[in-house]
Amino acid sequence: MISVAFLPLLFPAAPAPGLARSRAWARQYDCERISDEVALQRYPGRVRPSSPEEDPDRTVVICHQRLLSEGLREPRDEAVLRDLRDTADAIAVATEGLRPGLGEVTWLVDVHYPDGEVADKIGFATKNALMKRSLSVSDRVPLLTASDLGVLTRMPPEQAYPKACRRYHDTGSLGDDEVLVAVVQLDVRQTTLLAGICHQGRWGWLP
Amino acid sequence: MAAVTGLLASLWLSAASHAASPVQEAQQAELERVRLQIADQVQLVAFDLVDEMVVSLRDDPVFDKPTPVVLADVTVPVGLGAGMASLVENHLATVLLANPDTHLQLVHCPSCTAVVVHSGPEATVISRGHDQPETLEKLGVGTGQHALFVDVEAEGAFLVLRARLTRLTESQPIVWSHTVATSASTPALLRQPDGLTTASEARAEYLDALRDRGPIAVPLRFAVRTFARPDEGVAAPPFVWLQSGVELGVTDAQAWTSSILVGYSFIPQAYQGIMGQARVHRLLTGRARSHIKPDLYGFVGAAVISVWGPATGAFSSEVLTADEIIAALEEEGPRTSFGTLQVGLDLRVGQRIGLSTFLETIPDYANSPNFGNYVRVGLGFQSLGSEVTFWF
Repeated sequence: MISVAFLPLLFPAAPAPGLARSRAWARQYDCERISDEVALQRYPGRVRPSSPEEDPDRTVVICHQRLLSEGLREPRDEAVLRDLRDTADAIAVATEGLRPGLGEVTWLVDVHYPDGEVADKIGFATKNALMKRSLSVSDRVPLLTASDLGVLTRMPPEQAYPKACRRYHDTGSLGDDEVLVAVVQLDVRQTTLLAGICHQGRWGWLP
Repeated sequence: MAAVTGLLASLWLSAASHAASPVQEAQQAELERVRLQIADQVQLVAFDLVDEMVVSLRDDPVFDKPTPVVLADVTVPVGLGAGMASLVENHLATVLLANPDTHLQLVHCPSCTAVVVHSGPEATVISRGHDQPETLEKLGVGTGQHALFVDVEAEGAFLVLRARLTRLTESQPIVWSHTVATSASTPALLRQPDGLTTASEARAEYLDALRDRGPIAVPLRFAVRTFARPDEGVAAPPFVWLQSGVELGVTDAQAWTSSILVGYSFIPQAYQGIMGQARVHRLLTGRARSHIKPDLYGFVGAAVISVWGPATGAFSSEVLTADEIIAALEEEGPRTSFGTLQVGLDLRVGQRIGLSTFLETIPDYANSPNFGNYVRVGLGFQSLGSEVTFWF
């Protein structure tokens, strides 16, 4: 009896890892729990309708295999790209609390990430997330001179970003009616992105 | 000469130090193979997202009149290479050309996508042309054009398409953006470029196609049954059957179906037969019937067959003598009924045409000297059948 009680732990339902499935195999799947009604609507013919005897609040776990298997991209890039939609939406939501005090402004986006290709995608997603909230967004990126960059890149990030913000304002690269959203990776080992905003020479990190 | 030799040696050493080991080369080759496989899988889904984007542009145009737009950049999931980008770009151009109601007129602008260098008193800026509208103006490219950027990215199990339209003026305002995501496990909708529909309409079409004939179909089947030759004696002749009846799908997916058919067989001056048959089919390839690929079903069934005529003498449990065979040919012959159990495979294309084969055991004649066995797996299978089926 005791050994039978342990069977669900040893052989859990897919895609949970167990004796029959490795952790690496389970990591290939993204799963979500949805209501029976939504599951039948989204996956007709593939989800068995519940019978009257079953629990009316039955839920269905839908698992999708990830498009790109492990090893095809840099682990850091994969971690960032996997959550890109949520990250971009979170940044756009975080700006909502600041908007009343900013007035009519145009939003600019700049990304500081080691890989240029991934940086472009982060910028794209952030701009679209801001546009989705009916904000005025520009494709322009404010620039600093080479000498400014030479100084700023030798400073720790906590000091460099406020200084860069000040320089954007002083050089006129960022206008008074413009707000820069900078999406940054402070440490190359991080898989989470931080965002800060620069407006009229003042810098602040978004929550 | 010594300098040249030293240069060659350093080049060789440099090349040798960068040469990949055989293991690394094999890993790279395997990675490339996996990348190609994934790109093949997601390509149709990416096309679907492009179609969906063009549908939204057609239904809700950004511009009131046809407007020149530069296709500035098309990027694909990191790791899947530039080949897929070209395919997506070509598809986007195809559907935009086929849908002039979007009011987007693709124009060629080499300076917009080229890398340009602008050196002024304040700075020297190197970037793509569309990032420096002022420089484009100096190059003679008119301002006020629009640039379309499209990005497709694999985010977990979902493929996400993002697009934006930017006006190429000094402030570079984004005038339109669009984000749409789909799961790669969702079948591609395969819309026609000149008849684009929304995702919900395409889905409704898909479901209609899935349920095109409802749960009941009428098959018309031509079958040939052969009987295994015994070690000694005369074998029963092959039987040709014409069968029809009904087939019932349990769900829209048609993963389980059942059928009941009746049949008739007639060869002049040889034999006649009637039969009734019931089968249960299970889809073996996937969880739902496919509209674009053949489906393989496995089935089990049972049949009751009644035969008569001069050539049906072998349907007996006794050894036939030459006199009995000659006598049977001159008379109508005995009428014999027996039951069978079947197991087989059925390959169907679009639920229109199917080819199947089955093995059949006849319990009444399992020990008959007039029947051999094609296969014996505990149970002997005395009959082998092949069928061609048309569904209506």
